Amino acid sequence: MIVILEQGLLLSLAAVGVYISFRVVDLPDLTPDGSYVLGGAVAVSLLYAGHGWVFSTLMAILSGALAGCVVAFITTRFRINSLLGSIMVMTGLYSINIRIMGAPNLPVPRFDTGGITGYESAMGGTPLDDLLGKTTSSYHGSGVKAVKVPFDNLANGHDLVVIASIVAVAVVLMWLFLRTEFGMMFRGYGRNRMAVRNLGVNPDLYAYVGLVIGNAFTALSGALFSMYSGFADVNMGVGTVVICLASVILGEIIFGRYEPLYGMLFPVVGALLYQFLLSLAMRYGYAIGFKPSDMKLVTALFVVSVIAIRRFRKSEVII
Amino acid sequence: MGIGRELVVVIAVVLCMFGISLNVFGAVKIGITQLVDHPALNLTYDGVIKALEDAGYKIGKDVIIDRQNAQGNMQNAVAIARKFASDKVDYVVAIATLSAQACAQMITDRPVIFSSVTDPVGAGLIKKLGKNTSNVVGISDMTPVETHLKLIKLVFPQAKKIGIIYNPGEPNSVTITNIAKEAAGGLNLTIVDIPGTSPSEMISALNSIGPDVDVLYVGTDNTAASSMEAIGKAALRLKKPLVAGEIDMARNGAVLGFGFNYYQIGIETGRLLVQLLKGAKPQDLESQLISPDSLMLYINLDVAKSLGVKVPADLVSRADILVQNGKEVVK
Repeated sequence: MIVILEQGLLLSLAAVGVYISFRVVDLPDLTPDGSYVLGGAVAVSLLYAGHGWVFSTLMAILSGALAGCVVAFITTRFRINSLLGSIMVMTGLYSINIRIMGAPNLPVPRFDTGGITGYESAMGGTPLDDLLGKTTSSYHGSGVKAVKVPFDNLANGHDLVVIASIVAVAVVLMWLFLRTEFGMMFRGYGRNRMAVRNLGVNPDLYAYVGLVIGNAFTALSGALFSMYSGFADVNMGVGTVVICLASVILGEIIFGRYEPLYGMLFPVVGALLYQFLLSLAMRYGYAIGFKPSDMKLVTALFVVSVIAIRRFRKSEVII
Repeated sequence: MGIGRELVVVIAVVLCMFGISLNVFGAVKIGITQLVDHPALNLTYDGVIKALEDAGYKIGKDVIIDRQNAQGNMQNAVAIARKFASDKVDYVVAIATLSAQACAQMITDRPVIFSSVTDPVGAGLIKKLGKNTSNVVGISDMTPVETHLKLIKLVFPQAKKIGIIYNPGEPNSVTITNIAKEAAGGLNLTIVDIPGTSPSEMISALNSIGPDVDVLYVGTDNTAASSMEAIGKAALRLKKPLVAGEIDMARNGAVLGFGFNYYQIGIETGRLLVQLLKGAKPQDLESQLISPDSLMLYINLDVAKSLGVKVPADLVSRADILVQNGKEVVK
């Protein structure tokens, strides 16, 4: 149960990011599939280089913000639809992430290890040595150096406290931001672009802020997930947007018309519920032949069906 | 708005399932995860099961096996490790490096037995070969890379550039490539990287770099193993001899193969598991390499003929598996 909460809260940060771009500023943004990985790649690479986890995480957030900035630039300057612009950035990030890590995935070692030698040196040769001659090479691997992360994966509540504190701080900061006058205009931009324009403010500013904050949250989520699960992988972001959207929608269903903390609790509670449902599906699904990899299809069907139901009832206009 | 109520019903039903979850009492639950579906890893799995049965455990009665396959994807490997962690399986067997890394990261309170992991030390699974203090123990499938290069030198004396096909995302293959580069210096060979992070990237890298090398070499890379048929065909099309570090990979169009029987690796892994089932602690057991007795030499004289290569007779006489005139003979 603790593990589910931990993973749900990790996911909730990305869901908050998606909530900000899709709902608050109403700019559908697919970058999270890439910026989630970007956060993990930057954080783990910096950990490897010997930096502390706090610095690595902050740099990961910055990298996500930068990615959001690029999307906003493409979208506002070239007047490209934000969906198309973000797909371009997401695709480009795949290559960038591999460049950052130097490989498609990078583990986070928990302890120092020694090196390993070639098979022949370790075992004293092979049966073909009489034909091929004795071993000559002297390969000795360098092993790996441990990096310090704030998680111990023992499911004893320690990780949960760390993650919950980070989520709480992030959500409260975001809430405080949305309370300000600027934050009010920011929310207004998502609901009524014309009204903001009529007030004489450059609306592009809000597009920038929304996409930057959204992707910064996603990158934070990716960075923490990488440290928590012990690796960064170039494919770990696939489906992030859809999963986060599902979380946001779950949250909206639960809270209905009530908007706690300007709706900031939608993604948080939704992500927890999503993770809970996911673990149930994983746990009992094998009885009907359900595989972990099927979850993405189920999620996509869920999002489509909820939107379809809402459209059918003509209650709200979503997405 | 109505959906809320339906959702509550769904959640309630699922919660009930939690309560009536079937627990077979007395049986030990073993989670076995493998990275990808290819013959070597499947043989490892079969070997583990065989070792359990040989020790008198009835599958489905004394031990319940939950077999999972990550389909080559790190994300799936982690999802499976999480499932094992939350399902409270008693023992975890992880086949191939990325699956083992995922399990070792997520599961620290129960024994994790890795298998077919080339470099468990470099992958951060254990501190050193032999006994360790953690919950992780297992069998390495480290392959004799230097011997492979010497075989290449013996059969193809003119060869200078060896193209090594591997996925830089697999730590096992990175180790093998590094060993090959180190050994190549002493043998007057040059190693050329043919990297691909997916089967499709691998084939296109092979098609573009392949013409520049003299011999193609593939170690025990899992990505290559799962698309070996395509690699073998590409090698034949390029008219380049292919040498493999694993027998089942060699069966797909290679001239030479020298490596382990993965069934044997599975059996050794299963023996570790049996010792744990009988009460041993992971700390009591040694992580080890497979003994040289299990190494097998594969030679395909048909492919050699089509490439115009003459394999020395004294090497042919040593083959454990010989393919000639379309027939495979296992000695």
